[in-house]
Amino acid sequence: MDWGRLRFFLSEVLTNFTRNAGMQFTAIGTVAVTIVLLGAFLYVRDTIQTFGTGVLSQIEIAVYLKDGVDDNKAQELAARLAADPRILSATYVPKAVGLKRMQTVLGRDFDTSLLTSNPLPNTYHVKVRDPDLVPAVAASIARDPLVAKTDYAADTVQKLLKVATILGRAGIVLIALLSISAAIVIANTIRLTVFARRREIAIMQLVGATNMYIRLPFIAEGMLAGVLGAALAIGVLALADTQIVPKLAQTLQFVSFHVNAPLLSVELLGVGAAVGLVASWLSVGRYLRA
Amino acid sequence: MIKLRGVSLTYPNGTRALDDVDLEIEKGSFVFLVGHSGTGKSSLLKLMYREEVPTHGEVQVDGIRVDTLRRGRVPKLRRNIGVVFQDFKLLSHKTVWENVAFALQVTGTRTRDVMRMVPRALDLVGLSHKSRMFPSELSGGEQQRAAIARALVGNPKLLLCDEPTGNLDPSNTTEIMELLQRINLKGTTVVVATHNQAVVDRMRRRVVRLEHGRILHDDERGYYFRGLGQTAVLP
Repeated sequence: MDWGRLRFFLSEVLTNFTRNAGMQFTAIGTVAVTIVLLGAFLYVRDTIQTFGTGVLSQIEIAVYLKDGVDDNKAQELAARLAADPRILSATYVPKAVGLKRMQTVLGRDFDTSLLTSNPLPNTYHVKVRDPDLVPAVAASIARDPLVAKTDYAADTVQKLLKVATILGRAGIVLIALLSISAAIVIANTIRLTVFARRREIAIMQLVGATNMYIRLPFIAEGMLAGVLGAALAIGVLALADTQIVPKLAQTLQFVSFHVNAPLLSVELLGVGAAVGLVASWLSVGRYLRA
Repeated sequence: MIKLRGVSLTYPNGTRALDDVDLEIEKGSFVFLVGHSGTGKSSLLKLMYREEVPTHGEVQVDGIRVDTLRRGRVPKLRRNIGVVFQDFKLLSHKTVWENVAFALQVTGTRTRDVMRMVPRALDLVGLSHKSRMFPSELSGGEQQRAAIARALVGNPKLLLCDEPTGNLDPSNTTEIMELLQRINLKGTTVVVATHNQAVVDRMRRRVVRLEHGRILHDDERGYYFRGLGQTAVLP
């Protein structure tokens, strides 16, 4: 490794970068705003998605039996449910057990002593192999003469997932637009530094520097702006993660806020670098061709 | 070293800078291109280092067809050509040493070679003792010598000078011309575009006179005007 060459290159990039500090701050800021939005967006989408798929994989159909169907009679239904290949498992929950469970879930607020009789029906909890089949299975079970009603939360969950998908698509468009605007700001910044360094560039071309070599410091500079913007954004997101998310988690206890922070950070840095790369590449390229 | 055949150059704005020029310059020679400003001297030099491409005709430099050279090959051509201008084109925020080294560094020369080649070039132009100074701290003649050092540091076979003494007083002019002559003696082909009659007449080298984009006359050991002190006569 030729350290002298590396040092020369880095010092060129740095002088360049500091010469247009004001403009660079604008570029870094724009990238940061874009990436904060991108990060927040990915965070929300991931949370919805993990929540949705998590719920969906555990979804059960509650099969409420008719009044007067006793434990023995309920066994008949167990056989019929077991015969259905779409069904993974069916657990029988007698009304007494159901009431007890309800009490553990709801705790002290639920006073069973006020009840004169158990209002709950005997129930089967049915798990289905494929979450998509939940509506069909529930419908076919509902036709059984022993069954009063079937109930499941899948509809809501599936709607949630659909929202996540739509959100994902809308987000891609939004992020694309934001990235373009960030790229334009970086491109303009680089154009300014190119203009500020037109004498150097002219001399470089005169003494036989390749266009690639002339380009390199500007591209490094653009990428630096992109990466710094991304780093700033990651800082903001990390702050939000420690300050805002715990409060949200308190109010929305059923949602698990989880995101792969290191991976997301790397991705966001990558986005910043890519935006800087593309912007400066195009910006210098146009100058050199002219 | 240089061969131009039937070269014409018309700029996009319609100005006809050169009109059917034939010119041959041998390796190791020293040639003046003379004529009033706007007669195509600079354009002729620009064709040689591929700053301009002829509208018609062929340009050959050191066996390479410059007019048809692919864009990607231009840097390699230019590493074999040093160019010096009237306005020096030094970088004001870099020292003399850095200005000269810059030409090597941006063409990917190893640091070890830069450390070896820069002092040699500075020594050749007699600026070793001012290598740490900035261009603004130098006289015009010294600035031009720094620019020449930069042009020569990569050991080019050809040195092109566009009005190298245009901004200099007579004594600095003499100094620079002596330096160019010394460089020529070491084997570098030197082409100097100038309208400084005194310099040309004193040096008595080959003189190619341009007028309205054409070669008016071409004399070995010539004068600025054909026949000392005479006005040029159209052939």
